[in-house]
Amino acid sequence: MKRRTQFLCAGLAVAAVALTVTATWIDKIAMSYAEPMAPAFYKMQSISSRDAFARGRYLVKAADCAACHTASGGAPFAGGVKLESPFGTFYGSNITPDREHGIGAWSAGDFYRAVHDGVTPHKHLYPAMPYTSYRQLSATDIAAMYAFLMAQQPVNLAIPAPVLKFPYNLRFGVRFWNMLFLKDTLPDASSGQSTAWLRGRYLVNALGHCAECHTPRDAFGQLDKTKPLQGAALARIAAPDITPAGLARRGWNGSDLQAFFSGGIAPQGSAFGDMYPVVHLSTQYLTHDDLNAISTYLLGDHAAAPKHASPAPEDAAALTLGRNVYLAVCAGCHGADGAGKPHVAVALQGNSTVSQSDPHNLIVALLDGIAAQDFPKGESMQEMPGFAQQLSDAELVELVNYLRVSAGGQRADVTADAVAALRP
Amino acid sequence: MKALIPTAESTAGAGMNDATARIAEQPLVWHRTRPISCRVNGQQVGSIQVPIGLMMIDFLHEYLNLTGSRLGCGQGICHACVVILDHPDGSCEEVRTCITGAHFFDGKQVRTIEGHATRNAQGEVVEPSAIQQKFLEHFSFQCGYCTPGFVNAATILLEKLKQQPIARDQVESTIGAGLGQHICRCTGYVGYYAAVKDLVLNTPGLVKDVKV
Repeated sequence: MKRRTQFLCAGLAVAAVALTVTATWIDKIAMSYAEPMAPAFYKMQSISSRDAFARGRYLVKAADCAACHTASGGAPFAGGVKLESPFGTFYGSNITPDREHGIGAWSAGDFYRAVHDGVTPHKHLYPAMPYTSYRQLSATDIAAMYAFLMAQQPVNLAIPAPVLKFPYNLRFGVRFWNMLFLKDTLPDASSGQSTAWLRGRYLVNALGHCAECHTPRDAFGQLDKTKPLQGAALARIAAPDITPAGLARRGWNGSDLQAFFSGGIAPQGSAFGDMYPVVHLSTQYLTHDDLNAISTYLLGDHAAAPKHASPAPEDAAALTLGRNVYLAVCAGCHGADGAGKPHVAVALQGNSTVSQSDPHNLIVALLDGIAAQDFPKGESMQEMPGFAQQLSDAELVELVNYLRVSAGGQRADVTADAVAALRP
Repeated sequence: MKALIPTAESTAGAGMNDATARIAEQPLVWHRTRPISCRVNGQQVGSIQVPIGLMMIDFLHEYLNLTGSRLGCGQGICHACVVILDHPDGSCEEVRTCITGAHFFDGKQVRTIEGHATRNAQGEVVEPSAIQQKFLEHFSFQCGYCTPGFVNAATILLEKLKQQPIARDQVESTIGAGLGQHICRCTGYVGYYAAVKDLVLNTPGLVKDVKV
């Protein structure tokens, strides 16, 4: 009995020392930051917890937390969203204030470390959680997000552990990954110094974590810092190039980008694939100023004039075959002139996806189709059927090349092999 | 914004030396024509020269005088205009003729609402098909505008069940899946669904565990 008490005391002492060390460490991290985390949070609490809540709600939307932490039909922020990756399957965690399965037992400091460093009180997070981008968030903003999330309804829901391939299933590897690849800032794809541009950098690189999908990744899944926002193919529908040059090539300007982020639809097309939930859950809620900041950052302070695609001269016979396919199966909705129909189908002339130099997304859209989608402000687009069964590789090649030349300003250089390789 | 393909005016301005000028069209005004030949309700049609931009519903109405297929929404939602496309392997599917060009059907085989009933040597209808009869018995429709689409969809469903019978407890969900995209604005679907259920349950060989 006495021996047990001795052990217990020793254990408690060790725990106390460990806690002190950890606390000091957390403080150090917090203090090393421009805005000290803990003081800012408590200051906010004392001034107005309602302000912190409202600010946190906006920030949680701007950071699109729901994309991974709210499952379709599930309780808000209770997790469970399945994320497929080349390394295996991840499940968005439960970030409701449930003490058992959520973040209910976490302090503001714990939350800060999870978002900023990818380290929870229990484990190192995999970089599927974009702490690689959120690392640039201010401590004040992280504290406000904590205040909002802790005020949500707790949901007692356990989330499955990730199912990963070897060696990615060895979680300690994340420590080394962090040492090698975790950086405090991400490179800029545009240049500028205006207030809007700086705010846009924060919205795009930190909150919106756009680079996580739009910047290509290297062998260990780290962002290729030499190619910021140049486009990447993480999922079946690739994230396009959103550098100033890439956007200008596809006809984007500031006001069209803002329309796209606020409503999901612009003259260049509608949001689909993984970008649809981004608009649906996140960007539609951003203020006008923040949308302006995002477009300013993406295009740069001195944006290049958008180039509208003009048909490149090509062999007429090749175009005629594609035009025939177009009129047979596309023109019914997109119009014989490619102008689209409001609330039915987007315009194809000058369409951003058709104008991509890489035909990947155009081919995938033709093969798989696009589900019917509702957009903000009562807008919607009808289902686009997939044509994998209806059209042969040869017909699809004619169609793709016709669209690329006549509507996208690209070359008719797509081969049947490229189409066959993408068949589901 | 430029049109997808230069119109007559714009190509004239470009001096007609551009390769694209040779395929210039004016949508709704002038299209070049191409020949179509296909089988409609078992009869060979064509070869006929048809404008390339013509939708199948207009081809049926204006060229073949088959006016039973209904143009509803014109944008592929209501399914009043569907016809049955028969594949060489014996399978079949619905195709919406309001958004599919006539030339898509070149070399293919289709059935329209005019092809279901039994006709005599003079071409007069003497007996509706089984599903048409059931729709009448159940007072399935009121204005009848959506009926051609429902007849085609139900016919495809029944043919599928003949190939692959289903279990009794799948009957309602299968009917829902088969007819679910068809829109009716008068009768609220109940008559259609009840008629198809009646026929499915009372036709031998469509449901595994029901003795008829």
